[in-house]
Amino acid sequence: MGFFDIVAAAMPWSESEAEAVSGGSSTDSTPANSGGEAKDPSGPTPDDKDEVADEGEDKEEGGEKEEEEEEEEEEEMVDPKETFEEECKESKACAPSKHHFEECVERVTGNTDSKAPHEDCVEECTSPIATSLTSSTLPNMQTVFHLAHCANQCAAPKLWAALK
Amino acid sequence: MLARSRLLVGSVRNAAVNTTKRAASTSAEAASPFKLNAAGTAATAVAIGSMAWYYHLYGPELHAMTPVEEGLHPTKYPWVHAQYNKTFDHQALRRGFQVYREVCSSCHSLSRIPYRSLVGTVLTVDEAKAMAEENEYDSEPNDEGEIEKRPGKLSDYLPSPYKNDEAARAANNGALPPDLSLMVKARHGGCDYIFSLLTGYPEETPAGAVVPEGLNFNPYFPGTGIAMARVLYNELVEYEDETPATTSQMAKDVVEFLNWSAEPEMDQRKKMGMKVLVLTSALFALSVWVKRYKWSPIKTRKVAYAAPKMGGRRGH
Repeated sequence: MGFFDIVAAAMPWSESEAEAVSGGSSTDSTPANSGGEAKDPSGPTPDDKDEVADEGEDKEEGGEKEEEEEEEEEEEMVDPKETFEEECKESKACAPSKHHFEECVERVTGNTDSKAPHEDCVEECTSPIATSLTSSTLPNMQTVFHLAHCANQCAAPKLWAALK
Repeated sequence: MLARSRLLVGSVRNAAVNTTKRAASTSAEAASPFKLNAAGTAATAVAIGSMAWYYHLYGPELHAMTPVEEGLHPTKYPWVHAQYNKTFDHQALRRGFQVYREVCSSCHSLSRIPYRSLVGTVLTVDEAKAMAEENEYDSEPNDEGEIEKRPGKLSDYLPSPYKNDEAARAANNGALPPDLSLMVKARHGGCDYIFSLLTGYPEETPAGAVVPEGLNFNPYFPGTGIAMARVLYNELVEYEDETPATTSQMAKDVVEFLNWSAEPEMDQRKKMGMKVLVLTSALFALSVWVKRYKWSPIKTRKVAYAAPKMGGRRGH
């Protein structure tokens, strides 16, 4: 590493942590700080309690303020991911997935017969028993997985453009 | 006729060739085209049938797990820090650490990260020291051999929420919240997976899905039943740089922070990689030049044969 240290030292743009390290070395800072701040083990506990209490009060106050503000503005923050994904679900590309999902939901929720094989709309809309009998394991229904995948795929670049 | 007969196999072909020859010589007793057609059709049917049988036996791909057990594969997100020539966004790391500290750290440890490594990447020295001092650690044994508590120092590691795994399980209904230090490296899909998992809790479980007692539905988690409930909601934290704390923003920041905790050397590694590329390409160019320089007398020499002069005898 010696060689790289020399190289790094020669290059002005290479290292920015030198400053932080010199400030952070414990030998320099401990005596200076121990004089200024209470460092003995008994010290922090009452301080902490005070701080906690203060924070609690602050939070309460802050909460009230926020509530007031919310009442005034009546605007809740909307997650861009949800917005984009809703848009994407409505888009033409995801239309087949959405259609299949809705169809599945309709069938499953409408199916109240207790003797009927159990179905879900998680990935495919066929019952596990039925699939094992017919030995066709191909997902024949576009459901949650497919719809979510489609929507996420479509929303990803838009989301990243919107987030910081 | 000939062209069709080439399709046939083995003895059928020979027969067909013979018949064509015969057909060419004597058109009168030509083999019936029906037989030829039938032979060709049968051979084709056998070929197609055997292929179909083979596909039936070995064709369909077998999966040990259903897609539900596999979990929904996460979407690829265009992470900026994952690009070859980009570093972590340290403002995002700072926000992500805030999210970890205020949200995740109540259940998940980050036991491989000491405060000192946060200095200069996430926090300033003073911030890191102040944060370390908020916690108590065991000190060296004193004169009586008792181990007293002391406030944390930069060299201490981030405190874990539970004493050990058993305590963590006991507090979480039997489910162990894993340590997050290397989580981005430890899960298939890395950043994409964790981001999708954090933001992927649907508003309501899909129709018919059975979620076991004490679990929550998340399509990205293998098996879709996860013990962790959704934790990130809009405005859960208040960012100091006033970034709107939406669910996806917090998830993105905390995932980038966890990527840093798993690969704190990433920025340095990419820089080193660039140096290596520059140096090796320069050295390669140099070596090419040196080789050509050294070889130039040999490469440019001309071997010529001068016929010996044989005195005056040549004229004879």
